[in-house]
Amino acid sequence: MTLALIVLIPFLAAPLMPLAARAGRGVCALAAGLATSLSLVLLLADAPAAFAGADHRWSAAWLPQLGLSFSFAVDGLAFFFAFLILAIGVLIVAYARFYLGPADPVGKFYAYLSLFQGSMLGIVLSDNILLLLVFWELTSLSSFLLIGYWNHLPQSRQGARMALIVTGGGGFALIAGMLLLGEIAGSYQLGDILLQGDAIKASPLYLPALVLILLGAFTKSAQFPFHFWLPHAMAAPTPVSAYLHSATMVKAGIFLLARLWPVLAGTDAWFLVVSLTGLATMAMAAWIACFKDDLKALLAFSTVSHLGLVTMLLGIGTPMAAAAGVLHVLNHATFKAALFMSVGIVDHETGTRDLRRLGGLLWLMPVTGSLALIACAAMAGVPPLNGFLSKELMLEAAAGTTYLGLPWLFPLTAVAGAALSVAYTARLAFVAFVLGPRHELPNHPHDPPVGMWAPVAVLVAAAIAVGAWPGLAEGFVAAAARATTGGALTELHLALWHGFTPALAMSLTATVGGLALFWQYGPIEKARAALPRPEAKRMFDAAFDALVRTAERAIAATHTQVLHHHASVAVIAIAAAAGAWFLLAPHAPGDRAALPATVPAVAAWLVLAVVAAALVLRHRDRLQAVILTSVVGLIVSLTFLQFSAPDLALTQVSVEVVTTILMLLALNLLPKETPAETGAGWRGFDAAVAIAVGLGAGGLAYALMTREVATISAYHVAQSKPAGGGTNVVNVILVDFRGFDTFGEIIVLGIAALAIYALLDSALRGAAARRLAAMRPGEESRDAHPLLLVVATRVLLPLAITAGAYIFVRGHNMPGGGFIAGLVVAIALIMQYMASGYAWAAARARFDAHLMIGGGVLIAGLTGAGAWLFGRPFLTSTFGHLRLPLIGEVELASAAAFDLGVFLTVVGTVMLSLATISRVEERAEGPKPPPPHRAPRPRRRAEAEPARSLVPTEGG
Amino acid sequence: MVPLLPNPVLALPELILAGTGMLLLMVGAFRRTDATRLCVWLALLALVAALVVLAAVTPPRSVTFHGQFVADHFALFMKVLVLLGSGLTLVMSLDYIEREGMARFEYPALIVFATLGMLMMVSANDLISLYIGLELQSLSLYVVAAFKRDEVRSTEAGLKYFVLGALSSGMLLYGASLVYGFAGSTNFDILARVLGQIGAAGPSVGLIVGIVFVMAGLAFKVSAVPFHMWTPDVYEGAPTPVTAFFSLAPKIAAIALFTRAMAGPFAPMVGQWQQIVVFVSLASMILGALAAINQTNIKRLMAYSSIGHVGYALVGLAAGTQSGVRGVMIYMATYLPMNLGTFACILAMRRDGKMVESIADLAGLGRSQPKVAWAFAIFMFSMVGLPPLAGFFGKLFVFLPAIEAGLYGLAVVGMLASVVGAYYYIRIVKIMFMDEPARPFDQPDAQVAGVMALSAVVTLLFFAACWPIFAGAAAAAKALQIG
Repeated sequence: MTLALIVLIPFLAAPLMPLAARAGRGVCALAAGLATSLSLVLLLADAPAAFAGADHRWSAAWLPQLGLSFSFAVDGLAFFFAFLILAIGVLIVAYARFYLGPADPVGKFYAYLSLFQGSMLGIVLSDNILLLLVFWELTSLSSFLLIGYWNHLPQSRQGARMALIVTGGGGFALIAGMLLLGEIAGSYQLGDILLQGDAIKASPLYLPALVLILLGAFTKSAQFPFHFWLPHAMAAPTPVSAYLHSATMVKAGIFLLARLWPVLAGTDAWFLVVSLTGLATMAMAAWIACFKDDLKALLAFSTVSHLGLVTMLLGIGTPMAAAAGVLHVLNHATFKAALFMSVGIVDHETGTRDLRRLGGLLWLMPVTGSLALIACAAMAGVPPLNGFLSKELMLEAAAGTTYLGLPWLFPLTAVAGAALSVAYTARLAFVAFVLGPRHELPNHPHDPPVGMWAPVAVLVAAAIAVGAWPGLAEGFVAAAARATTGGALTELHLALWHGFTPALAMSLTATVGGLALFWQYGPIEKARAALPRPEAKRMFDAAFDALVRTAERAIAATHTQVLHHHASVAVIAIAAAAGAWFLLAPHAPGDRAALPATVPAVAAWLVLAVVAAALVLRHRDRLQAVILTSVVGLIVSLTFLQFSAPDLALTQVSVEVVTTILMLLALNLLPKETPAETGAGWRGFDAAVAIAVGLGAGGLAYALMTREVATISAYHVAQSKPAGGGTNVVNVILVDFRGFDTFGEIIVLGIAALAIYALLDSALRGAAARRLAAMRPGEESRDAHPLLLVVATRVLLPLAITAGAYIFVRGHNMPGGGFIAGLVVAIALIMQYMASGYAWAAARARFDAHLMIGGGVLIAGLTGAGAWLFGRPFLTSTFGHLRLPLIGEVELASAAAFDLGVFLTVVGTVMLSLATISRVEERAEGPKPPPPHRAPRPRRRAEAEPARSLVPTEGG
Repeated sequence: MVPLLPNPVLALPELILAGTGMLLLMVGAFRRTDATRLCVWLALLALVAALVVLAAVTPPRSVTFHGQFVADHFALFMKVLVLLGSGLTLVMSLDYIEREGMARFEYPALIVFATLGMLMMVSANDLISLYIGLELQSLSLYVVAAFKRDEVRSTEAGLKYFVLGALSSGMLLYGASLVYGFAGSTNFDILARVLGQIGAAGPSVGLIVGIVFVMAGLAFKVSAVPFHMWTPDVYEGAPTPVTAFFSLAPKIAAIALFTRAMAGPFAPMVGQWQQIVVFVSLASMILGALAAINQTNIKRLMAYSSIGHVGYALVGLAAGTQSGVRGVMIYMATYLPMNLGTFACILAMRRDGKMVESIADLAGLGRSQPKVAWAFAIFMFSMVGLPPLAGFFGKLFVFLPAIEAGLYGLAVVGMLASVVGAYYYIRIVKIMFMDEPARPFDQPDAQVAGVMALSAVVTLLFFAACWPIFAGAAAAAKALQIG
């Protein structure tokens, strides 16, 4: 439990900070310090166990289904890092108390700092890699807040965002890598994973997992080529830089490498990638650091360089090198934090961090100056300070490393890196602190209050102590190193003096070389300025810009806002998917015998093809389109006839007639042509797509029709008479087997008619009505209601109604039924409207169409519900026989009542739609036309008028 | 013996909504003055009642309406999300519709009917009821998209949505008829049994093509690549509360439908559809990430973002396992609060009484309205998938099963797409907190602020109170046939 508390305390403390800040800045800092110290005390209580190598774990289930649990464990390595985080944390809290200006909101600062601290502790103490990932991303997030803390500075904004994108993005790679790792190991508990080194290295997923994990670690620890974000994050307040960018956050990547060292290290891939990345980062960053004039930038690149050093040591893969890496983490944390804080003091006191303006500070601020100089010496690796110890070990490890058969690569580069490190340290130390003042400084610097330099002093003291008496840290480092190497490290002995070894010679060379570089700084700087310098940040920006531009171009090309393109994408996609399956499947046609090709069938087929093609070509002329469509429908009904489905054919023909008439009526109000929307190129493309899809659909149909497929029709044919009491299978299906569907359909029909009514009726008022009224009438026949037509239709009406009744009654057994009957009667009535005009017909209509629709649905519904009375489900039908005079035996099925409902609804629907359209038409024609049965008289207009158009002549 | 009446209790939430929808139409038609507010409250009441009844009546698994309708834990889980999404977006739109001249009683009625359609989609146990639910939903949505009928963008959005939606419905029907023709049934239970008995010869091509077409239709409804083209235009053109609604309830319902169809009747054919889902998921994640980078309109950005999120949700389905299905559900559960909250923030983007939609308008929100900005930042970080926010768990729950199922490439590419996604989400945070302030927005409406706060709290503290959700999702995943 104490383990969880160590992590939890900072998180609990964070929201309290703004409250504490209300009581005063000091109180807030004190609270933060207390919280950190409390965690530290709890951690120290675990020290004996950690040193003894005992496992101290604590676990609570969180999401056991996922293998995610609140598990914490402390061993040497975790203790080592946690101690650094907390100990330096205390110092930073104290330092920040004095560093932050009166205008800075301290509560916010300490809250973010606590969040960050808790996240870091979480990373190092987690015993579950998923939990570790959670904390990992939390550090990205809280560091974003900390870096962006001074959000009025533009560099700060950019730095914060870049840091978050690079480290957060690396975090996602890490998540993927960790998931793979957990998948290999079969567990997400770190303790379990660490035991399975061999299985992991042997797995085929090892390489992808390694690459992804390294991406996460390298971005976090600012390794080449992801090193560029760190210097830009330096816009943050100095305490943040000191904490995040020297001691803790950037070490998270190092921690991860060390943590997973037992399971990942030791392979060729690990060695080749990690050690070389570290080496390159070390040398390159050191080189850049030499030429930075901003003290913080110099330290930032120096940090990158030292992180590279540690990465290289871990990458070499021997236990001793790994131990050296761990030692250097400690040393770097002490001297670099001290240096950052010193630079912060310099900045605070002088108002500048520019090396070209600073000088001789040792004499102006002796305490700070001395401390900084000692820290510099440690960084340069001057004995007897701690930096020397790790530098010796590093050089020794490098000297023994052969990379790809190149024995000189590592030693030489390591020496060069060390020399550069000496050079930039010398520049920092001598130019800023020792050599005389060269310029007027903005302020009059003096030593800050003790609270500000005391943390530096503590760190410097530690640097001296560890350097002079290596035994002090030996146990601490050895425990961590043992944990890192999974026990492979048997013994660690730290000493200042190892005798005359190659490492000593290399060290001396590096020191001399570094000083020489410093001596010749001017010419070298000039030479370097003349060379082209690749700048990583610019490359990052360029890469991102390129990505953005590519994305923009790709999206602009494909995501036009044109509907037609959208539809074609969907159609192409589905055609491609279906096509792919088709290609994978056998293509042989089926073995079902083909029907004989008769002359009428072929002729109809040809007409169909020609008409369909003509429709595609002529579709912009609306009248032609409607006519051609109706021809298609006609041929379809002929096809039904050919295949012995007279009922379907009858239905199809009646539907065709009604819809064509309705469409023609509507066309009267519309422009003659649809405007062309696409150019020839697009049309060609569309044609290709359409042909491909058509071939696909045709092929599918062909494949189906050439095979024997069990169909469902046999059941219906067999059951039609015994179960439904009718021999007209279609009608029985409609009113019995699928009665429920039909019930739904007639409701839909009714609703559709009402919708037409509602939509068009409103067109008789308001703006639409004005537009209609303004519509110019076009060429029309002078005789709107030809006498012959009028007479013919009136004679036909009773005949048609009789035919309708006949069709209705016989429908259950012979072709016919309520639906067709309704259409036939409706057509007869439409004819009256067409021949004699709306007003004449409407005046004579006896039945309200609304009533017919409602009544029809009601009858059908009641018939269905009637079954309940007999204890049967809705729409169960029954039938009996009745002998009527003249007509003969009539089957009286309850379905017939249902059919009556269908009939009424169909008639009502057609009449209502028609009546509504006619009313609109009438309005468009202006003043009431004369009653049609009178002699036609010359119309009053139209001689020179252009074609009727929807375009209003005015206002609209 | 066929039962006289289907058991209506199982569908009580649906019946409540259906009754309320019709009641709203009557109220609106016969109450002459100002029925909108009353209708909105009635609609909300019905949604709440449906939620309560839903929780009370869901049995382990029962089928009613002749096998057309199923009530199980999967339906319960998804319906709760749908109802929450519908209800909360309706709450948010209350002031908006009055201000923007959209205050007509049809609006709440259409939302209720759309929600009814969604509930039916979630409970569909037959290709027919699937289609009916889908169309009821879609038809309502087409109208709602064009609800600001005097505004060209809105009508264009509605029309485009309708035309493409009709196209996709056609594909779905075509596929359904092929499936029916080759498998002999439309009922999910029977389909699962029939498909499960397919021997070594494998399913027939007709069946596979049928499933491909069904999937195409469903992919359109969830706006997955390559059937996503309508999304940006519709999201941008529709009135903002409608966009919020579109991005939540219908999406959740469509994902539920997709999941139920694939992990239910078609579960035995996982080998056939898995590749398609993998492709669709990959393409959606990548396109969602890349296309969003350059957007300047926040609603359009959210459209691409939602395409990306669908891609992530489908990662779970692609795994083709029960834990994958559980991941899909948890993903949608995390998607709900963060997306709802984001749209609450977008609804708060109002300056001098007029809505603004440009991302640049957010500049300096961190200083002018820190609360809104913080909430917005929480949602953005959650969408990135940063722990411990809700979005992280969604991603974790879909990626783990994918890895367990051996879909390493999918998982890795998905993670990398998250990195690109992070770029544009974080850009918004940067603009809010670090750019020079533009003129401040008006104070958000009380309802919008409330929903925003609620969503922010849920997104932020999801990790602390997610057990019931996970347990519910696990129970729900068990309700499906997939192994």
